[in-house]
Amino acid sequence: MNEEKEVEEQSKPLVLEKLEEHHADALLAQDEMRGTVVVVVRKEQAYAVLEYLKTDAELAYTFLVDVTAVDNSQMESELMQFDYARFMVVYQLYSYQGQCRLRVKVPVHESDLSIPSVTALWKGANWLERETYDMFGINFEGHPDLRRILMPDDFEGHPLRKDYPLRGRGERERFNFDKQNV
Amino acid sequence: MGLDFVGRGVGETDGNIITTSIEKVVNWGRKNSLWPMPFGTACCAIEMMATLASKYDLSRFGSEAIRFSPRQSDLLIVSGRISIKMMPVLKRIYDQMPDPKWVISMGACASCGGVFDTYTLIQGVDQFLPVDVYIPGCPPRPEDLIDAVMQVQQKITSGASPKGVEAVV
Repeated sequence: MNEEKEVEEQSKPLVLEKLEEHHADALLAQDEMRGTVVVVVRKEQAYAVLEYLKTDAELAYTFLVDVTAVDNSQMESELMQFDYARFMVVYQLYSYQGQCRLRVKVPVHESDLSIPSVTALWKGANWLERETYDMFGINFEGHPDLRRILMPDDFEGHPLRKDYPLRGRGERERFNFDKQNV
Repeated sequence: MGLDFVGRGVGETDGNIITTSIEKVVNWGRKNSLWPMPFGTACCAIEMMATLASKYDLSRFGSEAIRFSPRQSDLLIVSGRISIKMMPVLKRIYDQMPDPKWVISMGACASCGGVFDTYTLIQGVDQFLPVDVYIPGCPPRPEDLIDAVMQVQQKITSGASPKGVEAVV
């Protein structure tokens, strides 16, 4: 029994302890998914939390693996958890020092699709945020060059949104042939 | 090899002179030195590379001189998915190739979109390019690509115009 208790105490990840200590008001939820700690963070404090996670000497999540988003508009069970925020912006972090991963999720309402850009923290966020803008229409405030990255410049709509038809709205037949979108 | 002799001056000229038509000589040369422009955008390109490598050795058919400049090539091999953003690039490359030029549409994606029936993928490059030979498969084996090159060679030998020229005429 004693041993089991020890394991339980160890299993509380350092990052959760430190976040509860320094950014308790920003945390909306916390979870663990296949060994990866998941935290849901308020949009207003998202930048401060990410900055803390990167710059804290003990945590040192210096590697931003990915930025993407999820459209939960057809997932009632997900929607009701976070005040019916349609989108969830997801940051995947990795700490070389601690050799552990962390997933930070930020709910974004459709009425206000802006979220602070983290390009000032990780330069690699530049293209990742452009892709998220291209596919979901999330506006990253403070991004130095927020243009489409995958779709042609004159493309309309954001194709990874759930209300976008799989076969498109006729772009395959009506795309601009002469424009040098390269 | 492959040159159809129209007449042969045996006896009169000790076999040192052959007579034929200029088209046949030119086509004989074209057929045995097809220089491909590879447009590899997906897994089909891996099979195309295998076709060019030592095991399958496309140089047996005179097509080993891969040119990455369309201005020096006469066979366009479209191998892979073509998106609506890529199609203007592909068209521009085709336009830069000198006549006569042939086009092989390699694999399911280039020929009909394959499994990618989505908002961004061209459902068959033949909507925008005159394709001479289609290769089915996902991806096709190197033997299929060799067969396609041989079919292009047959078209050239038979004196048929490329699809692109037919479209203009």
